[in-house]
Amino acid sequence: MGELVVFVIFAPLALVGALTMVAARNPVHSAMGLLMTLFSVAVFYVSNNGHFIAAVQVIVYAGAIMTLFLFVIMLIGVDSAQDNQEVLPNQRPIAVALGLALLGLVLAAGSQGWVPRGTGSPVNGTIENVSDELFGAWILPFEVTSLLLIIASVGTIALAQFRPRAIAGDEADESAVDGELV
Amino acid sequence: MSALFDYHALAPELILAFTVMAVLAVDLMPVPKYYAAVTGLVGLFASIIPLLTLALCSELSFCSDNGARLLFGDSYVVDTFSLVLKGLFLVSAFISLLLAVGYVESDRYYQGEYYFLLLASVFGAVVMASSRDLISIFVGLELVSGPAFLLAGWRKGDARSNEAALKFFIVGVLSAAILLFGMSLIYGVTGELTFSGIRAATVGGELPAVFTLGVLFVLMGFAFKVSAVPFHFWTPDTYEGAPTPVTAYLSVGSKAAGFVGLLVICYSAFANMRDIWGPALWIIAVASMTLGNLIAVRQTNVIRLLGYSSIAQGGFMLAPFAVASMVEGVELEGALFATVTYLLFYAFMNLGAFGVVMAGMSKVKSAELSSWSGMAQYAPGLSMLVVIFFFALAGVPPLAGWFAKLVMFQAIISGAPNVWAVLLGVIAAVNAVVAFFYYAKVVKTVWMDSVPVEIPAAELGGSGLNPALALALGITAIATIVTGLFPGVLSFFGEATRTFASGF
Repeated sequence: MGELVVFVIFAPLALVGALTMVAARNPVHSAMGLLMTLFSVAVFYVSNNGHFIAAVQVIVYAGAIMTLFLFVIMLIGVDSAQDNQEVLPNQRPIAVALGLALLGLVLAAGSQGWVPRGTGSPVNGTIENVSDELFGAWILPFEVTSLLLIIASVGTIALAQFRPRAIAGDEADESAVDGELV
Repeated sequence: MSALFDYHALAPELILAFTVMAVLAVDLMPVPKYYAAVTGLVGLFASIIPLLTLALCSELSFCSDNGARLLFGDSYVVDTFSLVLKGLFLVSAFISLLLAVGYVESDRYYQGEYYFLLLASVFGAVVMASSRDLISIFVGLELVSGPAFLLAGWRKGDARSNEAALKFFIVGVLSAAILLFGMSLIYGVTGELTFSGIRAATVGGELPAVFTLGVLFVLMGFAFKVSAVPFHFWTPDTYEGAPTPVTAYLSVGSKAAGFVGLLVICYSAFANMRDIWGPALWIIAVASMTLGNLIAVRQTNVIRLLGYSSIAQGGFMLAPFAVASMVEGVELEGALFATVTYLLFYAFMNLGAFGVVMAGMSKVKSAELSSWSGMAQYAPGLSMLVVIFFFALAGVPPLAGWFAKLVMFQAIISGAPNVWAVLLGVIAAVNAVVAFFYYAKVVKTVWMDSVPVEIPAAELGGSGLNPALALALGITAIATIVTGLFPGVLSFFGEATRTFASGF
C-alpha cells in the first residue's frame, strides 16, 4: 500500500520532469526537469529496497552530473539563439503521430497483463551485497565500463584541444606543446 | 562463480586490454609516434596467439580442458563460435590499423589517441563475442560504439566530419536507449539476465505481449548498429564525413560487432522466439538489400557508394536469419553458418575496397567517381586492385565474394517449400544483379573512360603508396584471391561455429 502511494505521487513527477526536459525552451529548465526525474527515480529505488543505488543516483547523477550540466549550460550561455526551423516539411506532425502510435503499441502490449517471473527473493541492497555482485559475478562488465570512462576522457581532450597550426612539423616538440583554443 | 579466474580463457582480452593502455603510454613517451601503432599491431598479433591455444586446447600438454569454458556464472563463454569471431575482429583490426597509419601521419591528427580508441573499440567487439548476458553484451556494444563516435569526428576542422560524428552519436545513443528498453522488458518478464536463463524461461508456455515488444526493440537496437534499412539513415553521411580509415573500420569491425550481437542474442537467448525475429528480420533484410542497392546505383562518390553497398551487403547477411523460423536442425545451423561465413569473407574484401579508395584518393585527391576515370592509364596496379575488390564484392568468381553469396543462397533455399523463402531468394538474386551493375560501373570508369582533362597528367601517379597501406592492400588482395579459389580456408572457420545454433 505504501509503495502504491509513493508510486502515485512520484511517477507523475518523473513523467512531468521528463517532458519538461524535452519540451522546455530554456536549457536551465530542461536541466531542472531532468533533475526532478532523477530524484523521482531515486525514490523508486528506495521503495524497492535499493538504498545504495538510490544514494548513488542522488549523489552522482542528481548531484555531480547535474552540476556539470548546469556549468556547461552557463558557460555556453542560456541566451544563445536556437534555430528551430525544420528542414523537412511536415516532419514534426509525422514524428508526433508515429511517436503516439509507438506509445499506443507499448501501452497496448503492457496492458495485456504480465506477471514478472522474477526470483521473488527480497533483495537487500546493502553495500556488502552490491559489492559482492559488482566485484564477483559482474567484474568483467565493471572493468569494461572503467575503460569506457578512460575513452571518454581521452576522446574529449583529443577532440576539444586544437593545436596551433603554426608550429606544425616539429615532431619531437609535439607532446610538450600546450594547445591553445583556436 | 569461482574465486580463481580462468586466465587462459581470458588471455586474449587481457592482452588486448594491456595493449590498449600500452598504446596510450607509448604515445606519451618521447619516441616517434608510429611506435604507438607498432605497439598496437604487436598487441593485436599477441592476442591472436591465445585464441589459437584455446582452439587447440585438447592437443596441448599444459591445457587439457575441452569444449566451451564458462566464466562468471554462464555470463561469459569461450567456445569455438566466440573464438572464430574474436579472430575475425582481431585480424580486421590489424588491417584497419595498417590502413590508418599512413592516413593519420599525413596530417596533424592525434595519432596515439587514434590507435588507442581504435583498439578500445576492438576490445569491446572481442568482449561482445563471448558475452552471454544482457549486461555484458550491452557494455561491450557501448565499448564498440563509444570510440567510434569520437573517431568519426577526428578531422576536427572539417564540418562534414563534425556532422558525421554528431549524427552517428545521436543515432547511436537513440539505438542504445531502444536496446536498453527492450532488454529491461525481457528482464522484467523472464527475471533472467543470462542468455541461457532467458532461453530456459521461454521454453513453451504463453509469453506476454510485452516480451514480444522487448524482442522487437532489441532487434531494432542492433539493426541501428548494423545499419539495416530503415535504421540506416546515419550511414552514408557518417561514412562520407568520417576519416576514410575510420569508415573502413565502421563498415567492417563495428558492423561485424553488431552482427555478432544479433547472432548471439537471436540464436541463443531468443532461440525459442524464432517465430518473432525470423519474419521481422525478413522484412529488414529485404528492405536493406533492395534500398541499399537501388540508391548505390545512383551514387557518384565512391565512399557513399561503398556506404550504400555495405547496407546492401548487410541485407545479404541478414537474409539467412529470415529463414531461421522455417527450418530446423542442420538447416538452422546452416543459416548461422551462412551469416558467419559471409561476415568472414566480407571483412577482407570490404577492407580491401576501402584501402583502394584511400590509395586512389592519395592519387587524385577526390572520392568522386568522375575524377577516377582513366586511372588505369597512370596507375595500372591500383586499377587492378579496384577490379579485384569491387568484383569480389559483386560476387564474381573466382574472387572471394562468390562463396559468401553461395552459402547465403544455400541457406535461403533450405527453407524452400515456404513461399517466403522462395520470395526472399528471388529478391536476393535480383539484388545481386543490381549490385553487380554499380560495382562494374566503378571498374568501367577506372579502366575504360579517359582521364579527365582538368587534371594535368604530370601530377598523377607521382607519389607511391605508403608501406603500411601497401601491406594492408597486399594482405586483403591475397586473402580475396586465395579464399576465392579455396573457400575452404575461411569457410572452415564458419563451419566450426555451426553448433552454436543447436548447442547448449
